[in-house]
This record gives sequence, structure tokens and C-alpha cells, in this order.
Amino acid sequence: MNLNTSILKYIEDVKSGTFTVEEFTTETLQRIKDVDSDVHAYLSLNDSAINDAKLIDQKISSGEKIGQCYGFPISIKDNICITGTKTTCASKILENFIAPYTATVINRLQNEDVVITGKTNLDEFAMGLTTEFSAFGPTKNPWNLDYVPGGSSGGSAASVAANECLASLGSDTGGSVRNPASFCSVVGLKPTYGLISRYGLISYANSIEQIGPMTKTVKDSAFLLNVIAGQDANDDTTIDNNNVDYLENIEDGIEGKKIGIIKEMTTSEGLSQEVSTATKDAICDFESLGASCEDVTLPTIPYTVAAYYTITSTEAGSNLARYDNIRYGYELESEGYEYNSYISKSRAKFGPEVTRRIILGGFVPSAGHAGKYFLKALKVKSKLISEINKAFEKFDYLISPTAPVQPFKFGEKIDDPVTLMLLDYNTVTANLTGKPAISVPYRVINGLPIGMQIMANSLKEKSLFQSAYALESKTNLPEVPL
Amino acid sequence: MVDEEEIIRVAELMKIDLEEHGEHVSRVKKMLEYFDILDQIDLSSEEITAQQKSLNELRKDEFIPNDKKLIESLKNFREHYVRAPKMN
Repeated sequence: MNLNTSILKYIEDVKSGTFTVEEFTTETLQRIKDVDSDVHAYLSLNDSAINDAKLIDQKISSGEKIGQCYGFPISIKDNICITGTKTTCASKILENFIAPYTATVINRLQNEDVVITGKTNLDEFAMGLTTEFSAFGPTKNPWNLDYVPGGSSGGSAASVAANECLASLGSDTGGSVRNPASFCSVVGLKPTYGLISRYGLISYANSIEQIGPMTKTVKDSAFLLNVIAGQDANDDTTIDNNNVDYLENIEDGIEGKKIGIIKEMTTSEGLSQEVSTATKDAICDFESLGASCEDVTLPTIPYTVAAYYTITSTEAGSNLARYDNIRYGYELESEGYEYNSYISKSRAKFGPEVTRRIILGGFVPSAGHAGKYFLKALKVKSKLISEINKAFEKFDYLISPTAPVQPFKFGEKIDDPVTLMLLDYNTVTANLTGKPAISVPYRVINGLPIGMQIMANSLKEKSLFQSAYALESKTNLPEVPL
Repeated sequence: MVDEEEIIRVAELMKIDLEEHGEHVSRVKKMLEYFDILDQIDLSSEEITAQQKSLNELRKDEFIPNDKKLIESLKNFREHYVRAPKMN
């Protein structure tokens, strides 16, 4: 059985009786057993996956109404809640936390009959770009196990790339879906802010984060967005998408479209030679598809990483205050401690990156420093929004490489916080402005993937998918060597 | 220039135990120094924008009963109360 298949092909095969849901699930679980001791994409597996598959098979054979997902196997980033199961955020502080409710995205998937394979690894509380900050050990890149898979949704990306599921849900605060998608050669979408409900996503930086699908193909991404997008009474920031069908007309092409090449992201200091060459090739591909490309400059971009870290640390400092070992936490006898020292003691279980962000999150909005950091960051955000809105008056799409570099070896950048921050350089703009952005696998050079990022205006996901599909059709990538 | 003592003070307020995490102070300082780049951009004409939502867009304030005893998922509770360490 070929596990390296798309969701749409899988559904066709199940419908035509080529294999049953149970057969495919069993094979997928066997694959996880075979490769995950090396890859470490998963933090926990769903023990009832086979049962769930059998129930869907029964529905199919009895002619009962069946959801549009037909039991395809999907993994879920471990910061999204599913009732009665562990949701750890890859943190020691939530090591044994059992979610008391289910996220809206999970309800929507289950209503359409998916089989959840398990929960995937991430940087602790989704803060990081390599999964090296997971308290339970890093995920390896399936393309080369010595290299990082990107992050924070590194487990999700690796699980899809290593054929340990057909799709995954990640979350993207500053590139956490798109960066690992680029590093592992899968499709990763950060939708318009508010398009997907965040109810049940453990909060990191509420004002800019979004859940996003990670898939093998652009069409699968559109299919999955159809299932999970839309308003939710439990998340007041969600917006009405008028039930757009993102798959419809996806093959329409981009003839006559105008594409802006973001100069700050294609000439930046940290851009590697390989990524730069690939970007030039992508521009040629877009032109050969009938689009016209020209440079566009967004002068605020060099300040976005600082603004992004200021805003997200502030929100994280506030969101993570709830981990005080009274409401959430682990066994630590409270006798003999004074209230505050007890909380401090218990919070020592946070890993290094989370600890730093909490300290930063206290510092940058504090009375004496807000004017220098936090308020300025909010103004940078406003300025960037005006600039990008102006750019979208002229262009249909804005493009850049997803990450300025290819995957790198473990430990290579972990000791340099500023270099690590700058890996977000091309991705944070979409988060700060709320615009949708997608990473499309584009090249594999020296055995390591490169993804291209396309951004569109708010709620233009349908058009975004058309461009991503067009670019994807120009690629012919090798299979993952695992 | 950010003073390390100020970072230590803030860390204490954020209830971070610096006996365990003292090595982070210098890295936080490095990150803050990078944030100095924000001093180089002209933001004099910028306003902070906020998302707005009118009252009629909000959901109804309805009571939704929850039959689960959520308190029982906490580690330390007695009847309807959460147990916490003593305040001095």
C-alpha cells in the first residue's frame, strides 16, 4: 500500500474499495512504529485509532451517511485540546494534563470522520523554530535525521513528510506552520486571522496566532480548510467566510495576475545562496505561468522581528501566568512554601526559551519600558498593515522564500537567540498583518527542502490556493528518503 | 542600555526562580539589545490600531450548563475549594 498519497486520492481509493479505512490506518500505524523511533514526530498515539477506523468502515458498508474525510489519518499538534487525552504543549509543566474539552477544529474534523493518529511534537508552548525546545526531545527532519525539521510545528510537518499520516494541524504564531512546512517539504497554510477557530488551542499570543493545515499537496490544504474554517461561537475573533469552497476552480491558474517580490525578504543579509537561487527560479516559473512579477518594497519589514517578539512575549507572559501549579501543574507538595515562592519553584519546570519569553514578556510592557518596546511594536504593526494594504492595491500576491535558509544541523543555532529570531524574518509579516500565507514545497537542494511563500490579501485564500497550485504544478520533487 | 538588575527584578515579578534560571538573564539582555532596532524607525505619525467589534456581533450571554466537575481535574482541591499554599 502506498502511504505517500494525497487525501483526495485516498478518498477516491476508499470510495472505490481499493482498500478499507482499517487497512490504511493499520498500515499507517505500522509505519509510525517503524520510523518514529528515529523521527520522533509524535508525543502520544491515539489508542483507539483502529476502532475509529472500523466504525467508519461500518458506516461505509452499511450505507450510512459518511463524513467527507472518509477516515483519512491526521495528526494534531500537541497544543490543541481533545477531551480526555493528554495535551502537553511539549512542556514538563503540562506533562500529565488531560484536556477537559475539545477544540472546535477537532470537533469539525471528527464530524467529517477523520481518524486521529496522535499528538505531535513542538517547541515548548510553540516557542521556537527547531523543536529543540521540546521538553521531550527534538523531532528529526525526515529528509536527513541530522537536521532540524523547523518549528514550532516540527512534529506535525515531520509526521506528514515521513508518511506517518496524510495531514496534520499545526499552529502559526510567527511562522510555526510555514517554517517547518518549508524545512520538511510539505504544504503549510497560515490563514487570515479569524478564519479558523482558536477555541481549544492553548494560547501563546492570541492576537496573531492561527491554526493551519499541513498537507502533502495544495489541493489537500484547500480540502482541509473547507472542513475546519468558519465562524465559531466559542471564538469571538472568528469571521464569516460565507462557506467559500476553496477547492473549486483551484486549477484556474494565475494568467494576468500581478506578483510583488518582497525586496526586503529576497535581498536580506541572512539569505542563503541556495534559497536565493531557488527564489529566482520560482519567479521565472510564475512568469511562465502568465503572471507578471516586479519588486516591491515594504520598508517596515526590518523592524518586524523585534516588534513580533515584543508583542508575542507580552502576550505569552500574560497567558503563561496561569501555570502556577495551583490550577495547572504537577505533583509538588505545597507544605513548607510561602505562596509566591511555591509558584516560582513550580515554574522552574519551564524550559529555557519559555522562561526567557516570560521574563521578556514582563519587561517590554512594564511601566518604565512600554514606550520603548511594546507601544512602539504596536505602532510598527500598524505601519506594516498600511504598507501591505497599499501593496495589495497593486498586487494580487506577494512572494518570498518561506525561510531565509535551508534546514540546519541540531545545535547549530540554539545558542544564539538573535540568529534564531531572525529565522522568522520572512514569516512574521503575515501574522502581524493578519494576512493569509502559504508555504509551497519548491526545491530539494543537497537533499534538503526549500519552500516558497505566497501571501495574499485578507480572506483571499481561494486565490492564494490557485497560485500555490500553479507553482506546485511546476515542481517535480523527489520522495523523502526515509 | 538595559541593566541586568532590572531584568532580575522583572524575572522575580514574573515568578521565575533565578536560582534555577539565572543563566537566562544575559540572553534576555541580548534579545532586548536587538529590540533597540525599534529606536531607528520613525513612528511619529503612527497610531495604534485596535480590532473593534460592535455589541450586536457578540454571542448571547446564555448560561450553558456543564455537568462535569472540572475542579476534580485539579491536583489539590477539597469540596468546592482549590487548595493553595499559605500567603504570608
